[in-house]
Amino acid sequence: MEEQHVFDLLPGYALGILEGEEGVQVASHLAGCELCRQELQRHESIVAELPLGMTLRDPPPGLRTRILRDARQERRRSHPAENWAARLQRLSPAWGLAGLALVLILAVSNLFLWQRLRQAEGASQTALQTLSLKGTDFTPEGRGLLVISRDGESGVLVVDDLPVLDKTQQYQLWLMFNGQRSSGGVFSVTERGYGWLWIRTPLPLIQYRSFGVTIEPAGGSQGPTGEKVLGGEF
Amino acid sequence: MVDFKDLDDASLVRLVESGNENALGEIYDRYGRLVYSLAFNVLGDEARAEETTQDVFLRVWRKADTYQPNQGKVVAWLASIARHRAIDILRAQKKRPEGNLSAWAVEDILGLKDPDDVEEKAETGQRQERVRRALAALPESQRQALAYAYFQGYSHSQIATALDEPLGTVKTRIRLAMHKLRELLSEELASDELE
Repeated sequence: MEEQHVFDLLPGYALGILEGEEGVQVASHLAGCELCRQELQRHESIVAELPLGMTLRDPPPGLRTRILRDARQERRRSHPAENWAARLQRLSPAWGLAGLALVLILAVSNLFLWQRLRQAEGASQTALQTLSLKGTDFTPEGRGLLVISRDGESGVLVVDDLPVLDKTQQYQLWLMFNGQRSSGGVFSVTERGYGWLWIRTPLPLIQYRSFGVTIEPAGGSQGPTGEKVLGGEF
Repeated sequence: MVDFKDLDDASLVRLVESGNENALGEIYDRYGRLVYSLAFNVLGDEARAEETTQDVFLRVWRKADTYQPNQGKVVAWLASIARHRAIDILRAQKKRPEGNLSAWAVEDILGLKDPDDVEEKAETGQRQERVRRALAALPESQRQALAYAYFQGYSHSQIATALDEPLGTVKTRIRLAMHKLRELLSEELASDELE
């Protein structure tokens, strides 16, 4: 039976105001309907324009100075010529040493990957949150693992057994929060189908509830346009 | 020596990503008012709006690498961060202030053009005017429902409760409002994409 389109729900979805089942219904439908994704992009373009219609107010004097001062202080706290050791030390509070070791292993190779990950999941000292992503009908053998840092801010996605793509394409990670979809970045896989992505998000990663990976043009898209290959949710 | 005022927004963000404070300052000069105004219209409080604005620009400083040009304009990215942050704060409060639901007041939109109110130096000057006129063309009932959704993050049912209107009526008003805005702004959006 052909699934109904969700055109009527897309304005609310673009505004991030759908509740419960409606949001899930739309998100699920969008994963497989390019027509609705294109329609959603048009609505999202309008939502992006709405703040321009406001009457503007002046911020308090001195706010610019405070922002730049705080930015400068943050930069001073980081090492100007970071080597790997310094970078690891800076990341250590967020990940813990065991977690960082895991990330380095993931970055280098999938050798014994899944065995190591099972060990890490059981190791209380890492205290990392993880989520398995499952392959879809398009890529039933694909698998992924999302590893979130202890402070919940950032994370790593590791994938295995995904098809190698043409150089004009890449995989793109999508994250859902409160009905809003964001991109977590793009990545490619090795000849063995292994790849990883250091995830960067506008909000702390721990706030996102569902995740998906799709095939997109190289460099990424504004919204999912290609086949979904992995998915999972908390 | 680079004059940051000659750089486009995406280039500024790339410079922020590399740790350039002057680029962050230029982005604030272009969009600080908009971010602050949006935070104020959500929170209805100057002190909280100031804190939120500070949060937004510091997030830009830390997470500039999360901006992807193919996902939209920098101003839209900033506004999205500001709106989400402000609504998160709003939802965390037990008693929610009214916020400024008249942020798009018709009289402001159709009133005499205030040269100080148009961001001449940023990309958004003419677009502001077009968006304001499009919003002014909406019936008051649709604009009000849309304001609850956009500035307060209210769900359809919450808006229905706030307005004492049936749920179906609220859904229809928001849907019609968005479609009308698309109709009025679509030509401008298409020509922007071609630039």
